[in-house]
Amino acid sequence: MTKLLQTLFDGVAVGSLYALIALGYTMVYGILQFSNFAHSDIFMTGAWIAYVVSAAAGWAVIGGDTPPLYSGLVALLASMAFCGLLGFGIERLAYRPLRKAPRLNVLITAIGISLFLENIGQRKELFGTQPQKMPQLLPDTTLFTVADVNFRIVDLTVIAVALVLMGVLQWLVFRTRLGRAMRAVSYNIPVASLMGINVDRVISITFVIGSTLAAAAGFLYVMKYPGALKQPADSTWILLGLKCFVAAVIGGIGNVRGAMLGGVLIGLMEMFGAAYLSPHMRDIYVFSLLIIVLLVRPAGLLGKATVEKV
Amino acid sequence: MLSARASALRPGLAWVLPRAVGPLVAGVVVAFLLQLVVVPILGPFYEKLMMDIGINCLLAVSLNLVNGFTGQFSIGHAGFMAVGGYVAGAVTYYGSFVLWGSAAVHGGFLGGGDLLFLLGCVVGGLFAAGAGYLVGLPSLRLRGDYLAIVTLGFGEILRVLLQQTGDVIFVPAQIEQASAFTLATSLGGALGFSGIPFYTTVFWVYVMLGLLLVVAYRLKESSEGRAFLSIRENEIAAEAMGIDTTKYKVRAFVLAAFFAGIAGALFAHETGTTLNPRELGFQKSFDIVIMVVLGGMGSISGALLAAGLLTILPELLREFSDWRLVVYAVTLIVMMRVRPQGLFGIREIWELGRPRRGAQEKRP
Amino acid sequence: MTQPNAAILDVQAISISFGGLKAVTDFSLSLPPGALQGLIGPNGAGKTTVFNLLTGVYTPQTGEILLAGERLNGQKPNRIAASGLARTFQNIRLFGDLTVLDNVRVACHVRAETGFAAAILRTRAHYGEEAAIRERAHRLLEIFGLSHRATDLARNLPYGDQRRLEIARALATGPKVLLLDEPAAGMNPQEKMALADLIAFVRREFGLTILLIEHDMGLVMRICERITVIDHGVTIARGTPAEIQADPAVIEAYLGAPDPPDASAEGP
Repeated sequence: MTKLLQTLFDGVAVGSLYALIALGYTMVYGILQFSNFAHSDIFMTGAWIAYVVSAAAGWAVIGGDTPPLYSGLVALLASMAFCGLLGFGIERLAYRPLRKAPRLNVLITAIGISLFLENIGQRKELFGTQPQKMPQLLPDTTLFTVADVNFRIVDLTVIAVALVLMGVLQWLVFRTRLGRAMRAVSYNIPVASLMGINVDRVISITFVIGSTLAAAAGFLYVMKYPGALKQPADSTWILLGLKCFVAAVIGGIGNVRGAMLGGVLIGLMEMFGAAYLSPHMRDIYVFSLLIIVLLVRPAGLLGKATVEKV
Repeated sequence: MLSARASALRPGLAWVLPRAVGPLVAGVVVAFLLQLVVVPILGPFYEKLMMDIGINCLLAVSLNLVNGFTGQFSIGHAGFMAVGGYVAGAVTYYGSFVLWGSAAVHGGFLGGGDLLFLLGCVVGGLFAAGAGYLVGLPSLRLRGDYLAIVTLGFGEILRVLLQQTGDVIFVPAQIEQASAFTLATSLGGALGFSGIPFYTTVFWVYVMLGLLLVVAYRLKESSEGRAFLSIRENEIAAEAMGIDTTKYKVRAFVLAAFFAGIAGALFAHETGTTLNPRELGFQKSFDIVIMVVLGGMGSISGALLAAGLLTILPELLREFSDWRLVVYAVTLIVMMRVRPQGLFGIREIWELGRPRRGAQEKRP
Repeated sequence: MTQPNAAILDVQAISISFGGLKAVTDFSLSLPPGALQGLIGPNGAGKTTVFNLLTGVYTPQTGEILLAGERLNGQKPNRIAASGLARTFQNIRLFGDLTVLDNVRVACHVRAETGFAAAILRTRAHYGEEAAIRERAHRLLEIFGLSHRATDLARNLPYGDQRRLEIARALATGPKVLLLDEPAAGMNPQEKMALADLIAFVRREFGLTILLIEHDMGLVMRICERITVIDHGVTIARGTPAEIQADPAVIEAYLGAPDPPDASAEGP
C-alpha cells in the first residue's frame, strides 16, 4: 500500500514536469502544425541557465553555505526570462521565414537548431562539455509523511509550480483576448489575419510562453535530480524531450489539456512500470503506450480526428 | 486490352538479358576494381572513409524509398540498421565459434568466413525487413508526424531492449553449451557488441550499394515505382486511380528496412566501429533523414551525393572539431532557407539540365 | 424509367450524415450503359459527397451501390477503381511533381499484371507491359491534346490542361463508368465547347457511361440526356433537360443562388 501511494505520488511529480514540457510541444503544434524538435534544447538551456546563475551567485560552491531561500526563485525566473528570449529569437530568425515552406523543411530546421544549441552550449565559453552537480537550492527535506509516504519539498514544489503555471496557461488560453487570438490562429491562419489578428505576434508569444514553461521545467528537473545536469549535447535531454513529445501526442497534440493529461499519464506509467515491472525498461513502457494509444485513437486521447477534405 | 498489347510488345530474350543483368555485373566489377586498384593506392584511412561513405549511401538511398518515393515520414531508420547489424553480428560471431572455434576472420576472399558474413548480411536484412513490416503496418492508420513518432518509438524500444541483453560470450566451451536463446540475448548490452570479425571490405559495401541502386532505379522507372511516387504526390488521388496505397506503403517500408539491415550488417563488421545501442539511436536516424532531405526527396543521385558530402564534411572539419557540429547545424538551417527542395529537388543529377517548358500559368 | 437490372451503375437509396448533419439522403440513380447524365444542385447541395460515396472515399450508411451487378459499398477506393468506376476531382488533384505522361501512366497501373519482382529483374513481361502502358498513355494524351506537354510537370500546366489531364488520367484506369466533377470549372467559353465535344468523343470511343457534376447549365443542358437535381442532400427532381428547366422545385432551390438553371447563363 505504501509502495502504491509512493509510486502514485512520484508519478504525479514526474508527470507534472513532463506536462510542462509537453505544453510547449503542443502549443507550437496547435498553431503551426509542426513538431518543434528544438524544444528539448530550450529545456536543457533552462536547466543550465539555472546552474550558471547559481554558480555566479556563489551558491554552487561545494561545501559552501546553504543557499538563501530566495535563490530558487531567482534561478527560476532567470532561466525563464532567458529561454523566453531564446524562443522568441528562434522563431523570429529560423521558423518565421519558413512559414510557407513544407513541414518537412521546418522539421529539418528544428533539428538543425537543436544541433546548434547543443553544440554551441558545449563551448567552454558557455556551459562546457562536463556534467555539473546542481546545488540544492530547495531544501532536500521531507516535509511530511503520510502513511509512510514521503512528501519531499522538492516534489511538492515541482507539483505546485507546475500546477500554478498550467493554471495560468489555462486561464490565458481560454479566458483572455490573447488566448482567443491564439485559438483563432491555430484554427485558421489566413482567416485569423483577416479578422485583424496580428498572427506574427501571436506566434511569437506562443513560442515565448512555450519556452518559458520549458525553462521552468528544466529548473524543476535539476532541482529534482541535482546530479543529472548532463552536458548540453548529452542524449538525456533529447530523450526527455522525446518522452514529453510522446506525452503531447498521447494526449492529442495541439490540445492543451491533452498535454497535461498525457504528461501525467506518462509519468505514472513510467513510475509504476519501474516500481512493479523492471526499472530498466522505462522508455519501453512510454513508447508502447504511445503505439497502443495511436493505434486505438489515432488522434490521441483528447485530440479530434481531422479528415482531409476531398 | 493492356495485357494483350503487353504480350504483343514483349521483346526477345536476347534484347532483354543484357539489359537485365548488365547493371548488376557492372556493379560487381566496379566494386572489385575499387577494392583491387583504388584501395591500395589510397591507403587504410581512405579505405575506411570509402566504406563509411558506402554504408551511409546505402542508408540514405534506402530511406529515400520511404521518405522520398512514397512521401511517408520515417525517422527510425537507424532502428532497422540496428536489427540488421545485431542479427548479422550474432550470426558471424557465434557462427564462427561453432564452425571454427574462434571469432577470428576465417578464410580469404570468398572463403568460408566471407560466405558466413554474406549469410549474416542476408539474414540481418530479412530480420530488418520483418521489423519494417511491423512498423509499416501502423502506416495503414497514421499519417505524417504521427507515423514519424511511431518509427522513432520503435527505434527507442529497440535500443532499450538491446541495452538489456547480456554480455557477449567469448569462451568457446560456454558457447557450445549455450542455447540459441542465450546466444541471441548475449549481445553485449549497453557496452556494445564487441568482437565481431571485420569482414566488411570496400568490395562488399559497394556490391550491396550497387544492388540497391539497381533496385531503386528500376523501381523508379517502372509502373510499380510510379505507384510509390503517386502516394507521395497525392494519396487520395492515388487511391482513386486504383493504387492500393496501404500495400505500397508497407512495401516501401519493408524494402527500405531490408537494405538498412544490410547497411547495419556492413557497419557491424567494419573495422573501427563498435555496434552499440546508443550509436544507432535517433541521432543516427536524424543524420540519415538529413542526407535524404539535403539530396532532395526522391532523387537517388541526390541522396548519394548528400550521403557522400555529409560523411566527408566532418572529416574535413576535423581540425576545427570544436566548431564542427556548430557549422554543420548552421549549414543545415541555411540550406533549408536558400534551397528548401534539397540539392537536386526530386530530380536526378542528369536531369538537371533538361529544360522544362510551360512555366506556371495559373488562373484565379 | 430504365429497368434497374439493365443499369450499369445502379445506386439505391444511399445516405450519409456527418455528426447529425444529413449530407446525402436516400440518393438513387440508375445509369443505363452508354448514358451521359448530369447531377446538379446549388452550392453545398451534396453533389461531391455523392461522388465520394460512389468512389469509396466515404462509406454509405444505408443503401446499395451496384456496378454491373457488383456491390461496391464498403470497398476501398482503389478496389472500386479496379472494378471500373473512375473519377476526376473538383479541386484538381494531379500528381503535381510527376510529368504529364507519368500522371496517366500511374493510372494504367491498376490494369498492370506484372509485379514488383518483374520490375526489379526487368523480365520480358516487364518490358512488354511498360511498352503497352506507354502506348496507351500516349494515345490518351493525343486524344486530349496534351502530347506536346508529355514531359512537363503536371503542376506547370495551364488550368484548362490540368482539367483535361484529370479526365485523361481517369480514363487510363480503363473505367466502365466515369464520374466527372465540374470538368469545365474555370474554363472559357471556347474551351468549354471543345470540352463538350471531347466528352462526347471519348464516350463513343471508349463505350463509356458518364455522370457529370457541372455548374455551367449551358453545358449540362446541351450534353446530358437526363439530369438529377439535389438540394440539401435530397433529390428534388429528375428528368430531361427540358423538364428540369420547367420544374418549379428546381427553380425555387436555385432562387438567390448564383447559378439559376438558365440555359443561356455561363457558369463562374
